[in-house]
Formats: sequence, C-alpha cells, structure tokens
Amino acid sequence: MPEFKYDHIVVRYGELSTKGKNRKDFTKALTHNIKVRLKEYPALEYRTLHDGLFIRLNGEDYEAIREDLRQVFGYSYFSGAIIVDKDLEEIKKTALALANKRDYKTFKINTRRSDKSYPLRSDDINRQVAGHILRNSDLKVDVHEPDLMIYIVIERDDAIIMDEKVKGIGGYPTGVNGKALLMMSGGIDSPVAGYMTMKRGLRIECLHFASQPYTSKQALDKVLTLAKMLSVYQGDILVHVIPFTDLQLAIYKHCDESYAITIMRRMMYRIADRIAKGRKIGLITNGESVGQVASQTPESIAVIAKVCDTLIMRPLCMMDKIESIDMAKKIGTYETSILPYEDCCTIFEPRNPVTKPKEKECLYYESLFDYESLIDECIRGDEMIKLSYTDKENEDLY
Amino acid sequence: MDRKVYFDNVATTRTDSDVLKTYKDLLDKHYCNSDALYDDAVTISNMMERSRENIAKLLNVEKEEVIFTSGASEANSLAIKGLCLRNKDKKHIISTIYEHSSAYNALRQLEDDFGYDVTYLMPGKDGKIDPEEVRKNLRPDTILVSIMLVNNEIGAVNDIDEIKKIVKKHSGTYFHSDITQGLGKIDIDLKDVDMASFSAHKIHGLKGSGVLIRKKHVELLPLINGGQQEYGIRGGTANALVDIVLAKTLRMALERQKESYRHIEELNAYFREQIKEVKGVSINLDNGIANLINISTPIESEVLLNALNAKGIMVSSKSTCGSKKNEPNRALKALGIDDDHAIRVSFDYENTKEEIDHFISCLKEDIDKYARV
Repeated sequence: MPEFKYDHIVVRYGELSTKGKNRKDFTKALTHNIKVRLKEYPALEYRTLHDGLFIRLNGEDYEAIREDLRQVFGYSYFSGAIIVDKDLEEIKKTALALANKRDYKTFKINTRRSDKSYPLRSDDINRQVAGHILRNSDLKVDVHEPDLMIYIVIERDDAIIMDEKVKGIGGYPTGVNGKALLMMSGGIDSPVAGYMTMKRGLRIECLHFASQPYTSKQALDKVLTLAKMLSVYQGDILVHVIPFTDLQLAIYKHCDESYAITIMRRMMYRIADRIAKGRKIGLITNGESVGQVASQTPESIAVIAKVCDTLIMRPLCMMDKIESIDMAKKIGTYETSILPYEDCCTIFEPRNPVTKPKEKECLYYESLFDYESLIDECIRGDEMIKLSYTDKENEDLY
Repeated sequence: MDRKVYFDNVATTRTDSDVLKTYKDLLDKHYCNSDALYDDAVTISNMMERSRENIAKLLNVEKEEVIFTSGASEANSLAIKGLCLRNKDKKHIISTIYEHSSAYNALRQLEDDFGYDVTYLMPGKDGKIDPEEVRKNLRPDTILVSIMLVNNEIGAVNDIDEIKKIVKKHSGTYFHSDITQGLGKIDIDLKDVDMASFSAHKIHGLKGSGVLIRKKHVELLPLINGGQQEYGIRGGTANALVDIVLAKTLRMALERQKESYRHIEELNAYFREQIKEVKGVSINLDNGIANLINISTPIESEVLLNALNAKGIMVSSKSTCGSKKNEPNRALKALGIDDDHAIRVSFDYENTKEEIDHFISCLKEDIDKYARV
C-alpha cells in the first residue's frame, strides 16, 4: 500500500456573517491572509472558489500547513483533499486508499454533487464507493458515529475526496475592520487582548512604554518576543517603543504618591492617542480588566480615559484573570508573559494607590509640571520596530 | 554609544589572543581521540601529557596530580563529592557560608541527600575566615575542610597557609581550596593542600577548561564514569586541544602576575580615591584582593546595572552564577551588607585609569538621575 498523501487543501469560507460588497472584501482579505500565512511554502498554487480556496500542495507538507492554517482568522473549515477525474473507478480507488490511511474500524461516505449533470445521484455514489471499501478492507459502515467520514464532492471538472474537516478559529479576516493600537506591557493580558482584537478583523500595531534603566533590556526583548508571536495572525507587526523614564520620574517628583499611577496611566493614554492619530489608527485596545488593579476600577478607568478621544476598547474588561490565563496558554503567549522581568518597575509602585481618583486632583497635579513637552520627547523618541515571526537571525550560526 | 568598558573580570576574562591563536591552529590540524593508538592520536596525547606536566611544574605538584576538568565548578563538585562519597565513614565537613555556588550546592547535596553534617563558617568583619574557627570546629569525624582562597563576591583573601597547617595536624581530614579567584593574582603554595580547583577562563583562557589538583594520596569517587581518562577519575573523551592550551594559559598568567597585579593595585587605589567624590557610595571591604571592589550605592543594583549597561559599562550585581536566580548574596549577607544595592567592579591588567574616570562619571550621572526620587 503506497503512503497516502493529500495533494490539495480545500478551504471553505462559510457564511462570514456578511453579504454583498462586504463579503467580496472579506473573501479577498481572507485569501490574502491565507497566502501571507503560508508564504513559507513557495510551491503552493491557489485557485479561488466561489466559497473558498483551493490550494494545490505540489509536494509541500500537509501536516505543517495544517498547523499554520489554523492561525488564520475568518474561515469556516478546511480539509486535506485529493482531486481526481470524475471517473467512478478513480473515486473508488482513492476513497479506499483514504480508508486504509489509518487503523479505522468504521466509515461513512457523504457525497454531494455540484455538477447535477453527473450521471449518478449522490446516493448511488455513496453505495458504490462504500461497497468497494467493504469488499476490499475490514472496515464496516457506521452511519451514526463513524471513525472516518469520507466526503466526495462532484464538481464541474473533477471530483474532490476529503476526510477530516478542520474547524477554523473563527473571527473575521484580520484587516477588514481597520487598524488598532495595542498598549502592550509584557504581562499576560495584553497579548490576549491583541489576539482578540485581531480576531475581530483589526490589524494591530503595538505600543510599549520602556522605563530603562528601571526595566531591563530583557524586559523589552520579552515584549518584542510576544509581539512576534502575535505577528503570525497578520504577517508582521510594528512595535512602538516609547522611552518613558523621564516622564515617569517627573510624575513621581511632582505628584502625590497615591495619584502617581493614575497620572502615569493618563500620560500613557495621551501618548497612545497621539500615536494613534499620527498613524491613522481609529481604535486603542489593551488588556485592562475591571477591578483588576487600582488603576482599573470603573472610577479610575473613567478618569484615566478622559484624556484620550480615540475610541478605546478593552476586550478583557469583563473577563476573570483565570480566563485570560487560559486564553494566553491557548495562544501560546503565557510562558513568555510570566518570565520574571519587571514591566512597569515595582519601585514605582505606590503603597496606597487611589482607587477612586478625582479628575480635579489629576488636573491639579498635572498643572505642576510641563508634561506636554515631556510627551513630545516621548513621541520623538518613538523607536518603531517591525517584526515578523518569519524573521531569522544568525541562521548560519546554528 | 560604541564605547565598552569591561569591569566584570571576576565573571570571566577576555580570551588571550595568543592562547586563541594556538587553539585555532590546533583545531585546524587535529581531531583524533587522544586515547586512540595510531600516530595522529598519540601526537595529541603526547601534547596533552606535556601540558599536564608543565601545569604540574608551574604549580609545584606532580604530573599525576593534575586532573583536567570542564572548569572550576566541575573541579569543586569532584573534589567535595568525590572525596566524601569515597570515604563515607566520616560525615562532617567544614566549609564557609560564602563558597562559590558549585561548592556550596555540592555541600548542600551531601547534607540533604547523603546525611552529611556541614559546618558553614562565617567570615569576620574583615571578610576573612578566622583559622582559629577551623581549629575549633574540627571533629574526629571531620573528613574535609573546604575553604576558598579568594571570595568571588567581596574579594576577601583567606589565609589558607594558616588553615592548611591546622588541618594537616588533624589526621584523617583533607583540605580543599577553590583557588580560582586567586590564581594569577597572588602567590599560591599548594604544599599540604590536598586538593585545589581552578578554571582557565578567569586567567584569559578558554571556557570549558579547568583543573582539579588532587594529591596522590587522595582517593576520589568518579562523578563522570568513563574509561581510563584522567587516571580513571574523570571519564569521557578528553577535550584534548583545550587541555593542551591550558599550560600556555597558566604559564602566561603566572609570568605576568607580578607586573599585572601591580597595575591592578594602582587601579584599585585610583578607584578608591575617585569613588570618594561620588555621594552616597561606600566600599564594602578594604584589604581584599585588588582586582575586585564591591560597592554600595543609593540605587537598586539591578537598576544601576541596566543604566550602566546602557552606557556600555559591564559590571555585576551579584555572582554571575547566581545572577538569574533571586537568591540572596551569601557573602554580602554574612557581612550584614544590603545586597539589593551592591555592585561588584572587577579589574584586569588590561583596564586603565581612564576607564575608571569614565565609570565614575557615568556612575555620578546615574546617581543624580535615578537615586531615589
């Protein structure tokens, strides 16, 4: 028995929850995203279908592609497939090979005809193919819970034979809903927020506040590693690294300790607002969750967000920590997030941060120093780093 | 910022260009297993034995007493565990609270997993172990006294000549010393020292290279089992070419010792003079080895380390072997020094006064900017 190999992948886009012109844009974006995600497989050939994409493997590794394809948002499912002539004998032979692929005990055939002119009806094809497998193997038919489901689709030009349907991870094609700026600390929550934002069809850029020397080079590397991990969903990613130390020191010099974090967050949002506007980004997102820390009480969030008129969305706002941890584990960022490098240095952590800050107080403290020019400095110091999960460094060395 | 100042010579040193060249030349030519019997292998084996012989001469020991290891950590492990596990009838060990982690953790293992009893001596205010304390703590069942020559965190120099005399009088007890930080800086007399460990990379040699001096009367249980290599004490195909260049490394270190240490002493004095001008900084130990100065500053060590790193200055906040764990610094703690604010500056003969000036001015700048808010 020759080793069984798929020669195609069929991606089905499904409903995409949208119609008309939008739908066309969506499918175009999705096709583009799939091609970007699979750019490391140069031999692939693509053919668009009315409801999906045919990918001819040309010898590329299906198992590897299978994993990568599962990191693209927006399609319904895909299947590894073999495409043969519409000749029934060919179909039988291929279905039998598929049935012998693994140690299956039971199977079922499910045929659909797109080409209604095909001389056999779906049910006839089911019977004939099933009969062939029954005669030539030890498998039995089980119409309720088969180990193996073989799908046969009779198209206009050929027949597609598939087994598993691999479900997509849902969402919208990244990019169809514009861009978002993700405030990224390096903790557990922000990468999850980034993932959820991309899942709703937004392309993200990241914004990180670096407090060197209070934070180390390793802390920044960790943020860049996390950003790289997120880039698998959109190809590449731009990280804005803002030198934040001088502004932070000024805050601690001029403000009461209890208000320091509130003012610091207001400064961060002011900077985010300016970066977003400069980059024509309409949405700011981050990992804030209601009540998680003093600066994330409803009162704090309200006072802090007042300084920013770009729309802010907080995907995790009503999630428990344990839920974001689970999600971080699922998307693979957790282990990196918990590396023990400080983000917003602990020596800046006030002993008694205010949980119900007043705007009047904030304005008072902010009037005590020229924060505008410090913010200008931050914006000027924005180091933009473009990263991609495909970046390779020192390949030769290893 | 292109300028780099390397003040972490206690962690490791730059590989000497002569040593490196010799090593590269050997690598280009030789690959055979030194234990094989054909000519090309015998050539390597002969060179390795010549190296062993030269090392022995330089240290005034016998050729058979030189055991090549992968470094001082392995040598310490082998000395301590190898000796104790070979002589299990006595189960008491005397050591110090501030041994290098390779020795300290070997001792901890003997305590926790093999039922040994270890007395950890505390240093005095001068950072040194009082030999009298060794005498007082010796017991009939003391199998080993293991005390480092120079402490790698604060630079205290122990009087091992005095200590070995005390141990020598106590029959059945062996004396081991980790001489890594003293080698190439101060004179060392290995007479009556039963075992001594050091590594090559602290004296401008290669990483992955070290020696355990083990006097002939000392029996050890091998930790790495193998064939006939290293007199059956340390198995595994020899890292022959690395072992070969260790003789040259050691010879050069000892040849320049006097001159380079004089220069280092000058740097030390200059540093102490200059640091007086930096407010809030104090020196944690006087009269230590000249190439190591431990200071306390008003800034948290980690923050200062990052700030200096951003300016291309490389120093340590704690022993590099413990730098990624949040373990307290045993040496500083023993002296009652806050290890959150201490940094270790360590020089080499290649450093200059001008580098110290640069360091001092960067330190001043950082303290002005970051000393607490």
